[in-house]
Amino acid sequence: MLDLTPQDWTAIMLSLRVALVATAFALPPGVAVAWLLARKDFWGKSILNGVIYLPLVLPPVVTGYLLLLAFGRKGPVGAFLAEQFGIVFAFRWTGAALACGVMSFPLMVGAIRLSIEAIDRRLEDAASTLGANGVWVFLTVTLPLALPGIIAGAVLAFARALGEFGATITFVSNIPGETQTISAAIYTLTQVPGGDAQALNLVIVAVALSLAALIVSEWFNRRAGARTHGA
Amino acid sequence: MLTVDVEKTLGETRIAARFESDGGATALFGPSGAGKTSIVNMIAGLVTPDRGRIVFDGEALFDDMKGLDMPAYQRRIGCVFQEGRLFPHLSVRRNLDYGRWMRGLPRDGGQFAQVVDMLDIGTLMERRPGALSGGERQRVALGRALLMKPRALLLDEPLASLDTARKREILPYFERLRDEAKLPMIYVSHDAGEVRRIARRVVRLEDGRVVATGGHELLDEPASAALAAN
Amino acid sequence: MSFRVMPFRVMRFRLLPVLALLAALVAAQPAPAQDANTLTVFAAASLRNALDDFNAQYTKATGVKVNASYAATSALAKQLESGAPADVFISADIKWMDYTVEHKLVNAGTRVNLLGNELVMIAPKDSKLDKVSIAKGFDIARLAGDGRIAVADVKAVPAGRYAKAALESLGVFDKAEPKLAQAENVRAALAYVSRGETAIGIVYATDAKADPSVKVIGAFPEGSYPPVTYPVAATPAAKPAAAGYLEMLRSRAARATFEKYGFSYLIKPTT
Repeated sequence: MLDLTPQDWTAIMLSLRVALVATAFALPPGVAVAWLLARKDFWGKSILNGVIYLPLVLPPVVTGYLLLLAFGRKGPVGAFLAEQFGIVFAFRWTGAALACGVMSFPLMVGAIRLSIEAIDRRLEDAASTLGANGVWVFLTVTLPLALPGIIAGAVLAFARALGEFGATITFVSNIPGETQTISAAIYTLTQVPGGDAQALNLVIVAVALSLAALIVSEWFNRRAGARTHGA
Repeated sequence: MLTVDVEKTLGETRIAARFESDGGATALFGPSGAGKTSIVNMIAGLVTPDRGRIVFDGEALFDDMKGLDMPAYQRRIGCVFQEGRLFPHLSVRRNLDYGRWMRGLPRDGGQFAQVVDMLDIGTLMERRPGALSGGERQRVALGRALLMKPRALLLDEPLASLDTARKREILPYFERLRDEAKLPMIYVSHDAGEVRRIARRVVRLEDGRVVATGGHELLDEPASAALAAN
Repeated sequence: MSFRVMPFRVMRFRLLPVLALLAALVAAQPAPAQDANTLTVFAAASLRNALDDFNAQYTKATGVKVNASYAATSALAKQLESGAPADVFISADIKWMDYTVEHKLVNAGTRVNLLGNELVMIAPKDSKLDKVSIAKGFDIARLAGDGRIAVADVKAVPAGRYAKAALESLGVFDKAEPKLAQAENVRAALAYVSRGETAIGIVYATDAKADPSVKVIGAFPEGSYPPVTYPVAATPAAKPAAAGYLEMLRSRAARATFEKYGFSYLIKPTT
């Protein structure tokens, strides 16, 4: 079996926690934004689209740097949040979660948007003739039918968050136990002479986690699909 | 009972229709592209007219002069569409119950049994729409529209996607519906045979305009004659 | 969507300009540094400003362009190990240069210990901290306050390793460790302090000199850390021009340049 040190375990547990938190917090806005882009037309729609996809096209280090500027201790948003609500991102696992959330947001929105666009709007129309207002149409028709896509988006985001490195290390640096996720741990180990073997152990764990996430998502997908099309 | 006076430009087509329905079954009859579906969508509240008024039983559903546009979910008009549009993720039972539940109406076991019986859908309750035949789907769609206790029914080519045998099978249900439900019905079709059996009043549409209103005699005239007569 | 709709004849003409543009773009790629007139130099991050200056002088004098890649010494050594085509390697400590010699990534015969540096503690320019005495058992936790201590990665990057060595020999590493914010390289650590994101940081004296937004609040006593040494060597497959580059690094002019930036020059200049 794999020979993992306590430090390795710390990195693994931290990665899981960070990725889960990032995905959970990104999901509600992700669904909302995906719905907006799929169903509504408004001034500035392409700008919104561009901003959302920015983390996908910018070098991760750049995204991390922008996060540092905005959410660091001296950043406008970071300072405000720390003062008013005591929420600190700089050099904390919350910052790692924020970085992961931001980096995986476009992937999530993309998948969910596609699945919402695939829903026949005429079904939503039928629901409104049956007395459902906008919110109810969304909750009883759109959301259940988009579920496979939402799950796919969430898993994609989770997997991306697990593997996040560039933005995280730039924003919250590399602090074992706080911000040193699996990727950062692997990176550090590869830089230390003789650390390659241990790095490989962590790589295997990382691959196993991603595979597990994919299998779980496939299972959920099947179930959601069966509900929609089954007899 | 229902007064419709609407105008709308949809791409190349310009719709300007004006007619009244006094309860009972009224047919909107005409070839495809005549604008029948658009008008029905406007009555249902799914499409907003550019100009005009839609009044039902004295209550204005749309009046652009007063800036009034009641959203679809408040209009209480049951719709049956050509494709049925049953919710694929809900069972037949849940589909049927949807409108009543949305409107917050109390359970009405009596009406439920009556509608299920009239439409012969009792054996389909726990099935999903994906497992129904075309005819079964349309009957369930009809039941769903009725069970929300609408004040009127709009039926937009409800039989168009069915084959002749199915049509013949289902037509009696619509006739029963007309006789037993006592709801004002607007029945849209391009099929004279259907219209003849379902509706007494005919509103004939061509190219987005009402070219004639009357009875079954309008079904026999070819298009140009109707135009000439008006 | 059927492409049969457009006859191939027409498609060819529509595609032609696009293909031509693509071809032009590909052809216009700058030729890789394979040509004899460019040297690739891998250098420790802390050398950035000083070496850029020297490289400009070198290019002016010889006409040979220099492609400098600055990163943490550890990252560079690993890249060399993976076969990165560099001509010259300037490490920030002896250990990593030994590593590259051991793995035959540099030509041991060309190795020279060129520069020295010092370890200092810095704070943001507007910090209340000033003139700290860094000696055995000094209260580093109090200095950091509720903020963090920016350093380079203490396991792999030379600047971080020197910092850890210094803190250990002064007996305060245990207190400091939970407060460390380890950056990818010493310049990233510098940036944290510069931006005010951490209370203090440990970097080279030359880094502090290069950034006006930080101030030096104390120097680590000599002997608390191994002397900072920058060895330089050429790779086995280096271009002929590399020899001239190494030569010029040992000139008086080079010494003047590096000393200007705060480095100590360890050898006697040959020219």
